[in-house]
Amino acid sequence: MSYMDLKSPPRREERLKACIAHGGSVCDLGGKGKKSCLVDDGERGFTQGSICLLLPALAMLNTLPDNVVLMHSAIGCGTCTHSQNANVRFGGNVRWGKVKDGVWLSTALNETDVISGGEEKLEQAIIEADERYHPFSISVVSGCVPGIIGDDIDTVVKQLQPRVKAKLLPVHCEGFKTKIWATAYDAVYHSIGRTLLERSRVDGAEEGEGVDAGMVPYAGLERLPRTVNLMNVSSMGRVDELELTRLLTALGLEVNVFPVFAHPEGMVKATQAALSVSTCPTHDDYFLTYLEERFGVPYLLKHMPIGIENSGLWLRDVARQFGAEEEVAAIIRKEEAELQEALAEFRPLFTGKTVFVSAGEFRALATARLLEELGFRVVGIRSFHHDEFAQGEYDKLAATAQEDYPIDIANVQPFEEVNLLKRIKPDLFLGHANGNATAAKLGIATHVIYNTGLAYIGYRGAYDLARRLARQLKNPTYNRRLAENLTLPYTDEWYGSHPFSYINSRGGTTV
Amino acid sequence: MSEHFIERSRYLCALGGAAATVTAIPKAIPILHSASGCAGNFAWTQNGGSGLQVGGYCGALTTPSSNIQEHEVVFGGDDRLREQVASTLKVMAGELFVVLTGCVPEIIGEDIKSVVAEFSSQGAPIIGAETGGFRGNSYWGYDLVLQALFRDFVATSTDKERLKVNLWGIAPYGDPFWRGNLEGVRHLLEQLGLEVNSFFTTKDTLDSIRQGGSAALNIVVSEVYGLGAALLAEERHGIPFLSTPLPIGPTASEIFLRSVGTKLGLSAERVDEVIAREKGDYFRLLEPLTDCWNDLDLQRYAVVVGDANYAGALTRFLADDLGWLPELTVCTDPLGEEERQRLTDGLATLASGYRANLVFETDASQVIHHLRKKWPAGNGATYQNTFAPAFVVGSSLERELAQTLGAGHLSVTFPVANRAIIDRGYTGFRGGLRLTEDLISSIVGGR
Repeated sequence: MSYMDLKSPPRREERLKACIAHGGSVCDLGGKGKKSCLVDDGERGFTQGSICLLLPALAMLNTLPDNVVLMHSAIGCGTCTHSQNANVRFGGNVRWGKVKDGVWLSTALNETDVISGGEEKLEQAIIEADERYHPFSISVVSGCVPGIIGDDIDTVVKQLQPRVKAKLLPVHCEGFKTKIWATAYDAVYHSIGRTLLERSRVDGAEEGEGVDAGMVPYAGLERLPRTVNLMNVSSMGRVDELELTRLLTALGLEVNVFPVFAHPEGMVKATQAALSVSTCPTHDDYFLTYLEERFGVPYLLKHMPIGIENSGLWLRDVARQFGAEEEVAAIIRKEEAELQEALAEFRPLFTGKTVFVSAGEFRALATARLLEELGFRVVGIRSFHHDEFAQGEYDKLAATAQEDYPIDIANVQPFEEVNLLKRIKPDLFLGHANGNATAAKLGIATHVIYNTGLAYIGYRGAYDLARRLARQLKNPTYNRRLAENLTLPYTDEWYGSHPFSYINSRGGTTV
Repeated sequence: MSEHFIERSRYLCALGGAAATVTAIPKAIPILHSASGCAGNFAWTQNGGSGLQVGGYCGALTTPSSNIQEHEVVFGGDDRLREQVASTLKVMAGELFVVLTGCVPEIIGEDIKSVVAEFSSQGAPIIGAETGGFRGNSYWGYDLVLQALFRDFVATSTDKERLKVNLWGIAPYGDPFWRGNLEGVRHLLEQLGLEVNSFFTTKDTLDSIRQGGSAALNIVVSEVYGLGAALLAEERHGIPFLSTPLPIGPTASEIFLRSVGTKLGLSAERVDEVIAREKGDYFRLLEPLTDCWNDLDLQRYAVVVGDANYAGALTRFLADDLGWLPELTVCTDPLGEEERQRLTDGLATLASGYRANLVFETDASQVIHHLRKKWPAGNGATYQNTFAPAFVVGSSLERELAQTLGAGHLSVTFPVANRAIIDRGYTGFRGGLRLTEDLISSIVGGR
């Protein structure tokens, strides 16, 4: 039995032994030490709020053209779409020359629904959304409330599907059920697979009926021998997609970007590809395993093409699959030579400057390597979670580290960050969306590590990031003035405590 | 309007409104007793909707939160909350801590009151509010925090100070112009010689909030938001309240000042003097716009789309001060029958005599259908009196409507994704000038 036969995907805590609470160092996690937290995840006795899997799931679903997102939860769940809508508008415009807002709805479960159940309301909402918006698909996304009161969105969807025109995609995002928000990618991919790619379900046949033997593309379609699936769960903007497309096209390959901004009707194309290439194992392992097992599409899931060396490794792996080792070597030689020459003007400014990096695990580590390549010295990293896929990246960093530095495995938790930053006093901080304010208020130069309007990936990304960092370092006055005039909301007692003193402290064991 | 869903809701849940409200209180720290994603969802929502304002002293991802999981759902979350409050008091520097509950603990029947009482009895400055998301939207969450303040924080006082008032009715971050709007009304009241506690401006302190019990009047510049707290304060602190529309521009500000004067028994001369001075300034400043106003033909038909505060307030300003033609006003809040009636009655008689047309519609994609009932689309006829030149005053989600109508557009009501707002406000006489500047500037941008 495959995970795809389940209504919802397993939690990453179980499937990957992923964890979010560990205070270690680069030598602990990489190189020979390898004392990771994979077995025993600690809980913090003090925690700050972060996001749940709903947010990245919506970041993907909102981009799908001709899809309506229907939240089944209380009215607040999913309002993060107000900021994600900027990406929907911008992303649509750069791809199709048309600015359009996403369409997102909520069943807005109230006190009565909590007591008497919300399934009927959901049914009516689906019917009405189908009639009003005529979408190709409706993603029915459950939040915490249905998860507790026991609403069964899968049964509602199954019973209703024959009565509505839109394809219904049930997506499970009950936030309290997993602390690893990367489970979001599994949840969305799971629904795409079950709803749009499985022949039995697409054709409306009963489960198990008429299913192909597997290892071939979706029924009636041919294998496309030069097409690769370039996986993007919304961590790359169009500018980054174009950079990777440019490099893959140079190898004579056709690129199928999947799944963001892909029309649900055309998603079956992913089953025809000769290869799937991930840019981040945190995102894609669940789905790529499925695409291989079910449709015979092999995959690459190792390197993230952020950084000069990493971009080359990523590209070489792809080329090897198509016997294009020589071509790729020439491309990489040329790209690197050109890039290194262009970077020369920034090196004097960067060399020896210290940097603290914070992001999802793979992105944080790959970006840290890039910053080393640019001349910075990495002095601290916060990874939003930890799992086995990152081992190679920790090894790379442990090998190049001049001295050991802290690694904070934390689902943000800026209280640990502020404590570390006060001690380490880096020259530069790179943090995720809504995650740079703490460092900024300490007067440290900051730059966002992820923004779909900016370039980060490949050779173009390395250069553009360098340019932007040079700009930030040239005049970090905005942050300095903040630091001179604002106070962060932490006690002196906390600044004097060990930064990791609340890890494994739950239940009063070690504080 | 759908009975079964809300389209692109222009508000969060009760917890979201409550958390934003606590963040706006000076030196206050919210403690969420909720699932881990709530705080992040609020941060992203503010990022996209509140005019680029995210958090403050302690908000967004800095917010302490118990992050309860399946374990607590099964075994109860009291101990986790107790641990979180104790550790928050050690880690976070605040002068008031406010525990706020989300959906998960409330559905499983957690009682936060006893946990909060344990800490407050030991002298910690802590209160709590039950703000589960399913209890209502963010405006109700705002109200619940004010209720908690009046119930558990504001000192009771039998001696009322005749010239002291509390002011609220504008939800922080829910109204992207909350700071400026509060300051604008505060300025009006100060002109009358009143001492004002407005909770959330830079002039307010926790101490002035605590002393709010000695106010002679509570002024709620909303016909919907914050009325629960007004009723509670009346009962608990014996302070009567005055609920008014949000005063934008000279006509509304004049009416506002007179109703406050009457309610407080201020001398009519005093009120007249303030109005005359403010109004004199307003028109002296407006005067030089007049040539271009005419030369560029800047009068517009208008559609107003807004929350319960803005829908009426913007319509009044456009009709009664700017001389525009607000042909359709859409209130996007989900309101009860009584609240709808109140807002409808409030717009029935405008000072200018203009007849407003107020509809209630939570799903703004439907606004065009409401407009077409009165103003059909162009049919290609040589001569047709169409809805043009037109302007849409609403949120950033009304850009598509404006495009469809070939109309100008300004984002004022949540969500405001396309403007950076710090302390700009539209209330009072001066606020009317700011709004005039912004409306006209967006029309002449290509000049």
